[in-house]
Amino acid sequence: MPFFEAKGIEKKYKDFTLSASFSIEEGEFLSIIGPSGSGKSTLLSLIAGIEDPDSGTITIGGKDITKERIQKRGIAMVFQDFSLFPSMNTERNIQFGMKEKDRAKRKELSDKLLEVVGLKGYGKRDVSSLSGGEAQRVALARAIAAEPRIILFDEPLSALDPPLRKHLRSIIRGIHDSLGITVIYVTHDIEEAFAVSDRILVMRDGRVITVKDAEELYRKPDSLFTAFFTGEGTALPAHLAFENMEGSIFFRPEEAEIAEDRLSPEMYPRHLVLEECKVVSADFSGPHYMLGLSYKGYPVLVEASRKPRKADVSVKIPKDSVLILP
Amino acid sequence: MRKKGSGYYLLKAVPAVLLLLLLFIIPILLIFSNAFQDGGKAILEVLKDDYTYHLLSFTLRQALISALVSVALAIPFSAFFSKYAFPWRKALLTVSQLAFTIPTILVVLGFVIWYGNNGYLNNALRTMLGVSYTPLPVLYSFSAIILAHVYLNFPIAFALLTASWSTLPETQENAAYTVGSGRLRTFMRITLPRLRGSLASAFILIFLFCFSSFAIVMVLGGNPAYSTLETEIYRRVHVSADLVSASALALFTFAVNALLLAITTPGRKARKGERRERTLKKAKGAKMLEAIVLSFLMLLFLVPPIAAIAIRAFYTKDGIFSLKAWEGISGRGFGLIGGSIDALITSLVIGIIVALLSVWMGSSIAMASAKRNSRLLPFISSLPMASGSVTMGLGFIFVTSFIFTSLGIRSYCLSLLSVIAAHLVIVLPFSVRTITPGARMIPDSLSNAAYTLGRSTGRTYREIEKPLLAPYRRKAFAFSFALSLGEVNATLMLSSGNVETLPVLIYRMIGNYDYQGAAALGTILLAEALIVFAVGEARWRKDAVL
Repeated sequence: MPFFEAKGIEKKYKDFTLSASFSIEEGEFLSIIGPSGSGKSTLLSLIAGIEDPDSGTITIGGKDITKERIQKRGIAMVFQDFSLFPSMNTERNIQFGMKEKDRAKRKELSDKLLEVVGLKGYGKRDVSSLSGGEAQRVALARAIAAEPRIILFDEPLSALDPPLRKHLRSIIRGIHDSLGITVIYVTHDIEEAFAVSDRILVMRDGRVITVKDAEELYRKPDSLFTAFFTGEGTALPAHLAFENMEGSIFFRPEEAEIAEDRLSPEMYPRHLVLEECKVVSADFSGPHYMLGLSYKGYPVLVEASRKPRKADVSVKIPKDSVLILP
Repeated sequence: MRKKGSGYYLLKAVPAVLLLLLLFIIPILLIFSNAFQDGGKAILEVLKDDYTYHLLSFTLRQALISALVSVALAIPFSAFFSKYAFPWRKALLTVSQLAFTIPTILVVLGFVIWYGNNGYLNNALRTMLGVSYTPLPVLYSFSAIILAHVYLNFPIAFALLTASWSTLPETQENAAYTVGSGRLRTFMRITLPRLRGSLASAFILIFLFCFSSFAIVMVLGGNPAYSTLETEIYRRVHVSADLVSASALALFTFAVNALLLAITTPGRKARKGERRERTLKKAKGAKMLEAIVLSFLMLLFLVPPIAAIAIRAFYTKDGIFSLKAWEGISGRGFGLIGGSIDALITSLVIGIIVALLSVWMGSSIAMASAKRNSRLLPFISSLPMASGSVTMGLGFIFVTSFIFTSLGIRSYCLSLLSVIAAHLVIVLPFSVRTITPGARMIPDSLSNAAYTLGRSTGRTYREIEKPLLAPYRRKAFAFSFALSLGEVNATLMLSSGNVETLPVLIYRMIGNYDYQGAAALGTILLAEALIVFAVGEARWRKDAVL
């Protein structure tokens, strides 16, 4: 039996319906990604008990908590806007949810947690004096201090600057690894999800599209939506490449290779060859060029180390990295 | 959408809502039953009487003119204050906020002392011009009513207009200039339409306020020809002792007031938008001169009547320095002034009780309406605004006499309680309106964070939400206290009993031409109002957290 399971939970709004089922194992780090409005945050609210589902059940450790009060669920949450309590100093915030009653031990524990999140000596600081990154680390310490069975993160890094985000996400993952806490982490940043998660759940229009580990999600997406949501790529009608085939073919730009000379398909039986591609654009991104090509009127994206000198090129892609998607 | 734990807040608001409804509905019902005592004859008479419509048209006319003049006068001042920065800009804006809480009786008193036929202004002009007649016969006329209303409301229009004008980015105006539009055309075609909302809401606020104005019309009009609906209700109760016809007229006024409120409410919708202040230009050279001139003009209009009160408190009618009034206040006086200390204590006690209750009721109603996203609760709490305070006073006369006839209790305590109840009903809408923005500003995630960390709704309110509400509660306390301290209409209506507050005493002393005594008491009232205002406006360090 999985540690946490959401079974057929549904929540109807005026113009939006969320319906989701998924499960996670104890100690797992699951990210939920999806476009804005796909229901990621709503799903978290339902799990935390901030909102109640219309139907379905949520279990933790085999116990049904669907009707359990928000206070009794043992689920802590870290919010996008940090949500530190302005009426208390940093230390008090961390001690807020502690089960320990003894004052000295509470103090000892909060000092230890401050050290864990890299804020040693910040205990007496007024929370309004903290920077965004510091505030979110305090919020993280506060969540851990409550000894929850699961910590939910609702886009915790969205309000921070990009360099800080990278630093903080590694702190979050590090704490997860050392304490073995079960984490559900909502983000709209794919790179962030790839970097921190054991598995990734993709949502769209209130539904769970797929749950996979990061590499599989990127290399073997099972729909065009997931494919494009998790990175760049090219989709072409399948019949352009293979006779009598339905659906679309999909490949990532780094899998493709351009050739300025004409390639004959017969010479490359293990590749898919696209001839007579027109170069439309070449964007330099530092490590490489991202070429925008046009193949029979369809856009094709290819990564190249140099800018092609000709306006017409051929493209070859290993057949085993070409996906056929419905 | 309802938020988690909203049931708790609703439950907490129930006593406050019930008390409010009780204190509002019972007096109104008693007015109803009195008006219909003779099978509706009194109502029919009021409706058929030409005089009713004469009163209505005069009431509307004076309110309309007062509001128009106040707002129109504020436009040039606001235009400058929302564009240029100079050292004393903030101070003047703060002072203009004072108009929201200054007791009207002080305006009445200040006008009598400054603009009166034997007032400081006319005396000075007489000496300067060497004439014996009154050079500026302002008082006891229609223009006196308008002037006093403008005096009281120009700062309000100025404060509201400047606040919203300061948040309008100038990009549209600049865009108009770049395509060759002149200053005047740009103002008329671009700026004015953008200000429409705030102009309208300032106008409506002032119009409604002047519609129910009482003390100013009563004293400064000084002529039955200048009767408004409210003063006529008062006259019918205290001069003609005709409670039935007063009730009928009160009901008519109530209906008109409710209608006006209903018509104007959509126009007063709070504008959503960025709260960003635009960057002000530093006033230099000619603009600095303009700043000095405008500020001087404003102070020249606003300061003398109030300053005159404090000066007059130390001088007799003939301009001789005397501490007579102060001796009178300190307990050695005869007549009205002998009751000063009692009135002062009564006012403070009533003010504190009213303010405490209104903050308690205001916070619980504001929290419940924020948590439940309720439209009903704000509506209920603004109900008392549909009735003028004189009408409210009339209702409480009936309540008091009802309790007397049915229970046989007649005591000072009962009168005191009815004054407190009347003040509370009048003050509560303002308290709810002051606290509600604070309640709505508490982020959901903050409360949710506390819930997920195991805190109950009640403890979350006490530990997390209430501290955030503190500055709003303090402001509401100061506002309520100041309004109660300055309340004269309902109190005067009710105090045929024996509760005498400071403003009522001042009102009576003006009636007895004891201006020095009134001025001395007025100085005390002014000092109190200023202290309360300072408490409400001050920003404690702890407030700056959100």
